[in-house]
Amino acid sequence: MKKKAGPAWWRKAIVPAVWVAAFVLIWELAAFVLTQLLPPTLAIQKLPFLHNIAVTFVSNFFSLLESGWVTLSKSFVGFGIGAAVGFLLAVLMSWSKVMEKLAFPYLIISQMIPILGLAPIVYNIVRDGDVSRILISAYITFFPIAANTLSGLKSSGQDERDLMFAYAAKKPTVYRKLLLPSALPHLFTGLKIAAPMSVTAAIVVELLGTSSGIGVKILYTLYYGANGALMFWSSILMAALLGITSYYIVFWAERLCIPWAVAARKKAG
Amino acid sequence: MSGAMIEIKDVNKVFKNTSGSETVALEHVSLDVGEGEFLSLLGPSGCGKTTLLRILADLLAPTSGRVTIKDKTPKDVRLLREFGIVFQNPVLFDWRTVRKNICLPLEIMKKSKQEQKVRADKMLELVGLEEYADYYPAQLSGGMQQRVGIARALAIQPQLLLMDEPFSALDEFTREKLNEDLLRIWRNTNKTVIFVTHNISESVFLSDRVCVLSPHPGRLSAIIDVDLPRPRRADMRGTPEFAALVAKIRNSFEGDLA
Ligand SMILES: Nc1ncnc2c1ncn2[C@@H]1O[C@H](COP(=O)(O)OP(=O)(O)O)[C@@H](O)[C@H]1O
Ligand SMILES: [Mg+2]
Repeated sequence: MKKKAGPAWWRKAIVPAVWVAAFVLIWELAAFVLTQLLPPTLAIQKLPFLHNIAVTFVSNFFSLLESGWVTLSKSFVGFGIGAAVGFLLAVLMSWSKVMEKLAFPYLIISQMIPILGLAPIVYNIVRDGDVSRILISAYITFFPIAANTLSGLKSSGQDERDLMFAYAAKKPTVYRKLLLPSALPHLFTGLKIAAPMSVTAAIVVELLGTSSGIGVKILYTLYYGANGALMFWSSILMAALLGITSYYIVFWAERLCIPWAVAARKKAG
Repeated sequence: MSGAMIEIKDVNKVFKNTSGSETVALEHVSLDVGEGEFLSLLGPSGCGKTTLLRILADLLAPTSGRVTIKDKTPKDVRLLREFGIVFQNPVLFDWRTVRKNICLPLEIMKKSKQEQKVRADKMLELVGLEEYADYYPAQLSGGMQQRVGIARALAIQPQLLLMDEPFSALDEFTREKLNEDLLRIWRNTNKTVIFVTHNISESVFLSDRVCVLSPHPGRLSAIIDVDLPRPRRADMRGTPEFAALVAKIRNSFEGDLA
């Protein structure tokens, strides 16, 4: 066997490390070109140096976090509602063919309405930032959950279903003991897709001018001149972190809830 | 009453394919199986073994003919949960431990927690997996998984055990070991077993009678009594009597396929 260089953590860390280093380098280089070499008209607003952004981010961390938390908490509520609705819809659709035929066209149509159009409509109707954020987050969440859960509910094999049939299990029992557990990994796939999307959805609503949230920070710092650019990018960074955080919350929840599926996936490679 | 536990009378099964053509999977199959008998259904792939077993399990309905199990229809027997079934794949639920997999039919039957535990312990002992009770299926070898499948089928204490090529995905060593284990379990529990296989020596080693099926259309072409003494031991596979039975069965195929 070939001996590999360095301890295991080092080998694992090297790829992301190179990635981050290259990213920083390219950013700083681009900022240098824009601010130092080109004519200086508002150049700093286009692309400030990354280290300047970092300083701004750190020194404004708590105010950014406060705004971020407002966004995250609203999108969480929407995410929860959307996930519940999507899940129930999937169960209903798998339970009865009629229900599936009835709901399917609406499901498809719902995906044809762009959220950028829907958000102002909803906001204008309800006239409440919190409610709109929750509604739009829920709206964007329900579809990936419904679609993934539905395919999960249909994922169990013929043998498994025959087994339940041979032991004369009733339909609710088949759901409880077979269909729902085997749909869980698919449900989590849907949740992982939807979690960052629900944060984005809340931010989209905030860009319309709600009273709080990270989207509002992004919106206003756009107009604040040289210093605004640094805050703008810091807010963007916070927004990105919110999306990543929401993803990892689901990621870890999955490991806690369905360790058997995570282990099987690892085994399969 | 003829005293037979299972009566299969002139069963036919025709599958209508999507293209409109028809497959005759079983033609004029008649067979009686006695209480406590170990019977093999032997034949090449596609001869209707699975179809016949699935008809017994009420997973399929015959196109014509009649099947009774203790004078009841397969459906009644299924609803009374009087048979256990083992498939070629272990069909274990990944999210359940070995113990919980064995308990599955007991949970479906709404047995008390106490009874589930007692039965599961007994089954774990029967198949020799006491130490693996809390393992997940993915952590077990193929042979162990199939033992769990057998334990689950026996957990409901059925009169009848239906097995569809349960060992055909296993290697030769594991298969022979499980053959012996199965006979020991059968001796201790006194079930009627219908065992589907395409392996001649496996069918001889296990069975009281071997039913030879031939394909296109699936027909019962011979029934061969296996008069080897019981309990069967692994070294019997080397005896001339064993070889003679294997040869006899093989000839019944060749006569048929010619
Ligand atoms: N659901 C089905 N639809 C159509 N044809 C089938 C179906 N099940 C089995 N058959 C056909 O019936 C025949 C017997 O199949 P099967 O009972 O599975 O054979 P065996 O188990 O002996 O290999 C085969 O020709 C197979 O293609
Ligand atoms: Mg078969």
